[in-house]
Amino acid sequence: MAKGEDHELVARVVSAQDTQAFGELIRRHQSHVRNFLRKLTGDFSAADDLAQECFMRAWDKLHTYSGSGSFIGWLLKVAYTTFLQSKRKSKRYAEILEQVGHVSDLESRTHALQADEVTDLDKFLAVLSEEERAIMVMSYACGLSHREISDATSMPVGSVKSVIFRGKEKIRTSFDIKDHQHG
Amino acid sequence: MTSKIINMAERMKDEQDRLLESMFESSPIADDGFSETIVRRIRRKLWIRRVIMPTAVLLGGLVAYQPLAALVKGLYPLLLSVQGDLVPSLSESLPSLQLIITGALVLVVALFSLNMIED
Repeated sequence: MAKGEDHELVARVVSAQDTQAFGELIRRHQSHVRNFLRKLTGDFSAADDLAQECFMRAWDKLHTYSGSGSFIGWLLKVAYTTFLQSKRKSKRYAEILEQVGHVSDLESRTHALQADEVTDLDKFLAVLSEEERAIMVMSYACGLSHREISDATSMPVGSVKSVIFRGKEKIRTSFDIKDHQHG
Repeated sequence: MTSKIINMAERMKDEQDRLLESMFESSPIADDGFSETIVRRIRRKLWIRRVIMPTAVLLGGLVAYQPLAALVKGLYPLLLSVQGDLVPSLSESLPSLQLIITGALVLVVALFSLNMIED
């Protein structure tokens, strides 16, 4: 993906509020962002809604992109923040429902709906914490460097490496990867 | 030099890394109007900002002017009575004070309306 072209498009958006240039940026990166959010949420429809919110937020905050890292790294940071905020909101929503006597089955319903589509990757992701999942997806699915993940998650590079190591260990011990690698 | 070493270290992948990469690999998602939907939302947002703002200011001004003028008229004698204690030239600046208050309130009404419309 041409980094220079991304920067040119970003400059057009920031200087002239060029919606066509922003549309081009979306077309280039929507697949990465949607895949990232789908892996985080496990719910395709919710992930696409979040992706829309992410791009709307990216439009508002594009002037804060310094251009020092890759644009997709910055975009995934916005996506991750959007995901965390939505998670907090739904947690509050569930708490309110519980307070008024409704048992919140939002999460289980979401998973039950897609139970027949559970893949090996979903099983891997299930043993990871939310933070580990996000970082592993950024690293292995989106191909971000440790530095880019550090920028995206506002964590030191050393912590990113530890989280990846820990995630790998969890997957290794949970699924006995070494013995059943390609089976 | 240091960043080169870090990059090399990152590239030194073990078999589990390669396995994870293949597991995490996913086929690209087709756009299918996704980008167009967002661009439309943004254009609508821009349109609201550009067109509705002056309209909201105008409407806010029309709605707020009469009660504000009455309020300022009511306060005017009070301000006159204390003007000597505060600023000697207050009486000269009162007309502009009236304008400032009206303007500020109109702006608040306009911004409030804009926020409501955007939401």
